[in-house]
Amino acid sequence: MMINNGLDTALAAIVILAICLLGSSRLGLIIKLFALQSLVVSAIPFLLGGDLGIHKIIIAAGTFLLKVVFIPSMLFWAVRHVSIRRDTPSLLGVSLSLLLAGFLVGLSFFLAAQFPLVKITFSDLLIPSAFSTLFIGFLLLISRNKAITQVVGYLVMENGIVLFGFLLLETTPLVVELGIFLDIFVGVFIMGIFINHIQNEFDHTDISQLTALKG
Amino acid sequence: MVEVFPVILRFAVCVLFSPFILGVIGKTKAFFAGKQGPPLLQLYYDISKLIQKGSVYSRTTTWIFRAAPLVSWAAVLIASLLIPLGGLKAPLQFAGDVILFAYLLALARFFTILAAMDTGSSFEGMGASREAAFSCLSEAALFLNFATLVVLSKSISLSRMITECSWDSWVRLGPSFILIIVSYFIILLVENARIPIDDPATHLELTMIHEVMVLDHSGPDFAFILYAGAIKLFVLGGVLVTFLIPFQSRNVVLNTVILCAAMTGLALAIGVVESAMARLRLNRVPSFIIGSFVLALFGLIIALSRA
Repeated sequence: MMINNGLDTALAAIVILAICLLGSSRLGLIIKLFALQSLVVSAIPFLLGGDLGIHKIIIAAGTFLLKVVFIPSMLFWAVRHVSIRRDTPSLLGVSLSLLLAGFLVGLSFFLAAQFPLVKITFSDLLIPSAFSTLFIGFLLLISRNKAITQVVGYLVMENGIVLFGFLLLETTPLVVELGIFLDIFVGVFIMGIFINHIQNEFDHTDISQLTALKG
Repeated sequence: MVEVFPVILRFAVCVLFSPFILGVIGKTKAFFAGKQGPPLLQLYYDISKLIQKGSVYSRTTTWIFRAAPLVSWAAVLIASLLIPLGGLKAPLQFAGDVILFAYLLALARFFTILAAMDTGSSFEGMGASREAAFSCLSEAALFLNFATLVVLSKSISLSRMITECSWDSWVRLGPSFILIIVSYFIILLVENARIPIDDPATHLELTMIHEVMVLDHSGPDFAFILYAGAIKLFVLGGVLVTFLIPFQSRNVVLNTVILCAAMTGLALAIGVVESAMARLRLNRVPSFIIGSFVLALFGLIIALSRA
């Protein structure tokens, strides 16, 4: 297997950005970090090597437009609209969730070693990074209180799935990826409306309080 | 057989040049603040002035309080013999010296902490407990970094670990190289009580860590503490710089010049970081150090998966 340093570094950067997301509590910073992570993800198809087909360009451009431009600006709009700036500290605490992230990274490398999916031709880091991003996104999703951070957690998970998708870039038809794009688009759109409605109804977006009776 | 001249030169650089690094950091910070700042040689003036003064000892202190500055100064100076500095080879190297290196630095810190507790002042005890808590975390991260180097270089001698994984081989080593550099830089800031963790410029503030422990030291004792701090920064920075210096010549003097220039560059980088960042809230510091721990862990995992 040839060593592709640009790709390896980009993959490591994606995981590091996910870990940074886990460690930050300012909503503006969280959205910016997510946009940066998506930017790196959208650059991955070009780093994979091989010929540059229309397929790769559409995936990269789609990821860029949707996750670097559209979704972050929508999340920024939501943050401005509900005028919150900080997430409350996660249920686990920052230190514990960072340590958990380290553990999950280790777990993903272990899992990836057991993964007889396809013969990997570009980098042995792709599957572990995909797993790590997926797990850390999930951790972000379950450990935070504010709806917006949970949306970002969902999107980070989705970035991990996209990394998996790159593994099969040559074999999956374009329609599947376009379908995924549409899914995220609609998902975030609905969540944006949800956040807005929660805010209008309860004057806050703290999900943990939704289980209590009003009044 | 080790040649004598390079060893003396190395030692001289370490002893004579290290206070200059702190001067460069101070100047950089002053530049960003739009101030004149203290002169580059300020620490030399401080040390020479403090040496000429007498020491004042509280009646509650014991010999530990008097020994601590000298012990920590000597410990970091011995630690400096274990690392290669740029092209200057380490005069002392054997398998497993990395453990000795880490624990010489720990010994220096241990005595500073003991001396702080020896004063019986609750204020210094508080600083000592903070220092102990944070150094536990940063030591774990430091060892993870070293473990990565051990895996990459397949050697447990510090000299080979550092020189085998230098700049020209990073293409081979890939992302773990970048990860350990970032992680190590954070450890460097933690160990030397620099800004995101501790502010060396504030005295008598309840949030400080390192400075509070040495409040009771005066005269020559305090000079040795300042000196030990400068040498510690030089030693830990030297490891990073040796890592990053892209080439080494065969000429010892030229190597020394390159080393000094690189150390000054590192000091500039630290100064920029200190100017750009605010000190972290005290309860965020452990998360910051654990972040560096996780980076090192990630680097180690990548290195292991490749090995």
